[in-house]
Amino acid sequence: MEFDFSAVITYFPTLLKGVGVAALVALAVALMSVLGGLVVAVISIYTNKVVSAPLRFFIWLFMTTPLLLQLYFLYFGLGEWILIPAVVVGILGLGFHYMAYNADIFITTIKSVSGGQYEASRSLGFGHWRTILYIIVPQAFIRSIPQLGNNMILMVKDTSVLSAIGVAELVYASQYAISVSFRPFEFFIVIAAMYYVINIVMELGQAWLERQTSYRH
Amino acid sequence: MSTEQQTATPMVEVRNVHKRFGNLEVLKGINLTVDRGKIISIIGPSGSGKSTLLRSVNNLEVIDDGVILLDGVQVNRPDMKGMAFERHINHIRQNMGMVFQHFNLFPHMSTIDNVTLAPRKLKGMDKKAARELGMEQLERVGLAEKADVFPNWLSGGQKQRVAIARALAMKPKVMLFDEATSALDPELVEEVNQVMRSLADEHMTMLIVTHEMSFARDVSDWALFMDGGVVVEESAPDKLFSNPDQERTRNFLQKHLENNK
Ligand SMILES: Nc1ncnc2c1ncn2[C@@H]1O[C@H](COP(=O)(O)OP(=O)(O)O)[C@@H](O)[C@H]1O
Ligand SMILES: [Mg+2]
Repeated sequence: MEFDFSAVITYFPTLLKGVGVAALVALAVALMSVLGGLVVAVISIYTNKVVSAPLRFFIWLFMTTPLLLQLYFLYFGLGEWILIPAVVVGILGLGFHYMAYNADIFITTIKSVSGGQYEASRSLGFGHWRTILYIIVPQAFIRSIPQLGNNMILMVKDTSVLSAIGVAELVYASQYAISVSFRPFEFFIVIAAMYYVINIVMELGQAWLERQTSYRH
Repeated sequence: MSTEQQTATPMVEVRNVHKRFGNLEVLKGINLTVDRGKIISIIGPSGSGKSTLLRSVNNLEVIDDGVILLDGVQVNRPDMKGMAFERHINHIRQNMGMVFQHFNLFPHMSTIDNVTLAPRKLKGMDKKAARELGMEQLERVGLAEKADVFPNWLSGGQKQRVAIARALAMKPKVMLFDEATSALDPELVEEVNQVMRSLADEHMTMLIVTHEMSFARDVSDWALFMDGGVVVEESAPDKLFSNPDQERTRNFLQKHLENNK
C-alpha cells in the first residue's frame, strides 16, 4: 500500500477550519462544564434535598447514558420544538455531559476542605456563603485541577462525536475530503496527529497549572 | 453611658452556660468574666470542656442555656432566627479574634492576603490601606518579611503567628486562644508565647486555653481550673498554680508536673 498525502494537502485548509470549530466548541464546553459543574456541586452540597435531589439525578443521568444518545436526544428532541444550530446543540450536549462529571469531582474536593477552614473564616466574621465563595471553593478548585484536566482532555476528543449531528469539526470536515479523494488512511493519520498535538498542548497546560497551584494547598 | 459604667462593663461575660452534645453535658453551668484589658487562662484535663467553652463564646458552638455577652452585647440570641441571626453573629465575630490549635491559615492565599482578607471584604478597606494595615500586623508578630509567602512555606510557629496577625487585623476587642501552641514542636512554642506576651503588654483582653502552666502563670491576671464541665476552682494565678484549695486542682497539677518531667 502506498501513501499519497497530496489530497490531504489540498484539503488542509478545510481540516484547519475543522480544528478551529473543534477548538471553539471545546472552549465553550470547558467554560460551561467547569463553571456549571461548580455551581451544581455547591448547590447539591449546601442546599436542601428539594433542590439538590434533582441535581443529583441530573448528574446520575448524564453519567450513566452514552454521550451520543444524549446528543441525539437533544438534537432531535429539541428539534421537534425549536430550530437550533447543530453546533449549539453540540455545545449544550457535551457541556451537560461534562458538567455532570466535573460536578462529581467538585463534590468530592469541596467536601475534602477541612472544617477548620470554614470555622476560621466564620470566626473572622464572614457569613456562610461568603466563606464558601472565598475560602472553600478556591481551595476545592485547586484540588480539582488534575481531574478536571483529565476530563477536559477526554472532552476534546469527544468533540469528534458531534460529527454525528453535523457539526463541522475536524472529523466531519474530513469526511467530504475522504469521500472525493478515496484516501481515508492519509486523512486519519493526519487527523490523529492533530488530536495528538492538541492533547500534548493540553497536558502541558495542565502540568503548568498544577505547578502554579501546588504550593497553595 | 457614663465612663464609670463603661469601665465597669466586662469585655466578656459568660453566665450559667450549659452545652450538651446529645446526652453528654459538656458545660454544666459555667460563669466567667473577663474585664477590659485582662487576661484569663483556663486549664484543665483533656475533655473537660475548655474548647467547647471558648468556641461557645463566639458561637462556633451553640449553647443550650445561659447568656454570653461581649462588651455588654448579647452574643447568643435564641430569639433570633435565620438571616437576622447570621447578620448579628457575623458582626459580633468581627470583634473577636480566634486562634486555633491547628492555625487554619488559608493555604490558597499569601500571608498578607490571609491577614487582609477580612478587613478588605468585611470593612471595605481598599487594597493599599489594607496592605499597610496587614504589614503593621505582620510586623507585630515579627513576620513582615514573609508577607508574600504562602502558608505552606512557613514553620508551625510562623503559621500561628500569622494566624494571630490575621485575627489582630480586625482590631478585635478580645482575643480567644485555644491551645495555640499545642500542635507545635517544643522549640517553636516560645516564639508564639512571646507574641502573646507582647499582646499582654499592650493590654489586649485575652481568654486563653492552654496546657502551659508556667506561661499561664506568668501572663494571666486570673486563672480557672476546669474539670468535667464545671469550673472547679479559680483564683489569682500564683495561688491556683502553687497553692490551690481543691484536691482535684492539686491532682491535676501534680500529674501535669510528672508528665512534663
Ligand atoms: N462536636 C462534638 N460532638 C460531640 N461531642 C463533642 C463535640 N465536641 C466536643 N465533644 C465532647 O465534649 C467534651 C469536651 O470537649 P472539649 O471542649 O474539646 O474539651 P477540652 O478542650 O477541654 O479537651 C469531650 O468529651 C468531647 O468528646
Ligand atoms: Mg481542647
